[in-house]
Amino acid sequence: MGLIVVIFFALMFIGAPVAFAIGISGFVFFTTDQTMPVSIAVQKIATMSQSFPLLAVPFFVFAGHLMNESGITARLFRFANLAVGWMSGGLAQVAILLSTLMGGVSGSAVADAAMEARILGPTMVAKGYGKGFSAAAIAVGSLITATIPPSIGLILYGYVGNVSIGRLFLAGIVPGILMMVGLMITTYLIAKKRGYVVADTARPTARALLGAAWDAKWALFFPVALVLAIRGGVFTPSEVGAFAVIYAAAVGVFFHRDMSWPKFLKACGDTISDVGMIMIIILMSGMVGFAIIYLQVPQGISSWMLAGVSDHNLIILMILVFLLIAGLFVESTVLVLLLTPIFVPIINSIGVDPVHFGILMMSIVTLGGMTPPVGVAMYAVCSLMNVRVEEYTVESIPFVATIIAIIGALLFLPDVVLWLPRLAFGS
Amino acid sequence: MLRRLAQFEFVVAMALLVIIVVLVFVAAIMRFFDTPLIWSVDMAQLLFIWLCMIGATRAMRQKGHLGIDLVVRHLPHRVRLGVEFAVSLLILGFFALLAIEGTKLTLLNQQRQFGDSGLSYGWVTAAVPVGCVLIGIALVYNMVRAWQARRDGKTLVYSRADIVEDAPAAEQSPWA
Repeated sequence: MGLIVVIFFALMFIGAPVAFAIGISGFVFFTTDQTMPVSIAVQKIATMSQSFPLLAVPFFVFAGHLMNESGITARLFRFANLAVGWMSGGLAQVAILLSTLMGGVSGSAVADAAMEARILGPTMVAKGYGKGFSAAAIAVGSLITATIPPSIGLILYGYVGNVSIGRLFLAGIVPGILMMVGLMITTYLIAKKRGYVVADTARPTARALLGAAWDAKWALFFPVALVLAIRGGVFTPSEVGAFAVIYAAAVGVFFHRDMSWPKFLKACGDTISDVGMIMIIILMSGMVGFAIIYLQVPQGISSWMLAGVSDHNLIILMILVFLLIAGLFVESTVLVLLLTPIFVPIINSIGVDPVHFGILMMSIVTLGGMTPPVGVAMYAVCSLMNVRVEEYTVESIPFVATIIAIIGALLFLPDVVLWLPRLAFGS
Repeated sequence: MLRRLAQFEFVVAMALLVIIVVLVFVAAIMRFFDTPLIWSVDMAQLLFIWLCMIGATRAMRQKGHLGIDLVVRHLPHRVRLGVEFAVSLLILGFFALLAIEGTKLTLLNQQRQFGDSGLSYGWVTAAVPVGCVLIGIALVYNMVRAWQARRDGKTLVYSRADIVEDAPAAEQSPWA
């Protein structure tokens, strides 16, 4: 195992693509272990893909790209702008609300952050908002997108850790909304202090707000339909994913009439590249995943962890702090694939609900994408808005602190996370 | 020639994507009405690994595979290009081994049946060696291009040119 870890970190250090760093280090296990035939390595790559729950990944990625091309994003933006644009720090509030609404149609924080940096970023800077502040509100706000169902990260966690994806989806709703409220309060306080106000925007009338909501009804209805379809296990998340694709295409073609053949081709192309990029990491991790189980790494780590500490919350807290630090340097997909098989058995053995832990773990590792030194969402927003990473870092502190405070509170309040899945599936 | 290959891959991948969606959609509807179609889900999973491999090839051509550039981004361009060539050769060697082992395994697996579909499991494992060859071709192509442009001070093998100064490049990277 030591050799695998060293090779993995060496390859990551010199900037090798993550998928192949994982693949090569896992392959080394099969070539060095005398009893293990090398052909098993190929077998492990192939079997990783043969899972029905995993099909939810391409489906929700595809549905997200189709919705983007069907004019749903533009309608959600108009609604968000009208609903909260008048508040103190209006445009930042819009960014946060839009992330929440987009969370219901897309499962990707980085795609959401990049989209908002393009459509909101320039206006925010032009209206006198600090550049770093704007970038931080957009980037950290996109964490909400990854928490509200559908969430690609939660699908992966459920798949690797053998946890119900339907329950995870429902468990993400309340924390997502809490994060939205928390970030909006933080934004309000900062904006008030610095005097960021959009001067000429009055409060919207109820009529105008309802009009904008009606215009965006197909997008706003989607997350509701998603939850209703998964509730009680009538349909599996993968089946709902296939429905979501058909729904997105139908809305684009028949209702919004924004979908054209070139737009459809673009959505397909983006989906194929995204699916290839995510899935090759997942397939290649099959070899390391097998080595982790074969070498009994979870047992080793858990006996070491459980030896000194008996308090359950303290154990989870230790794991979360470890994930927070690991998340600063390593991409969230990689952390989920490598660490879920290690931590979920520990969580189960101390009697903590893996659905509760999954929400905490995913929020923490996804937050790593919004912080320096390595953060995909941060780089995307900073490069699109031309913000220096140092400036972003300082301005993101209050937002990141808000999120960490919420995750910390959720650790001690499992019922807040779990009441919705219990309501839908029974306990 | 490679342009043709890229277009061909795109058409195949798009067909796979649409077929997988339709297979699962129809199976879900049928199951709801108590007449499940067992083979359609098996078929979708079989096609899925092929979609993954072709998608990874496309992502390689677009230099979309994610890596951590925390350290290497501070290196001079020539050194960084050298590192990328070395890593690329290592990856090609890895692909060659996987392709050989994968071919052997596929030949062995021909007899094994896949689910209830009556298809050979060899169709699943064959995606690994074929995928390695396809991604390998894309990587070699990137290497040739990077070598040709080695004096321009920005082109790399599998990483995009510096993302902070080259904003439009980031637009093409919707990481899910």
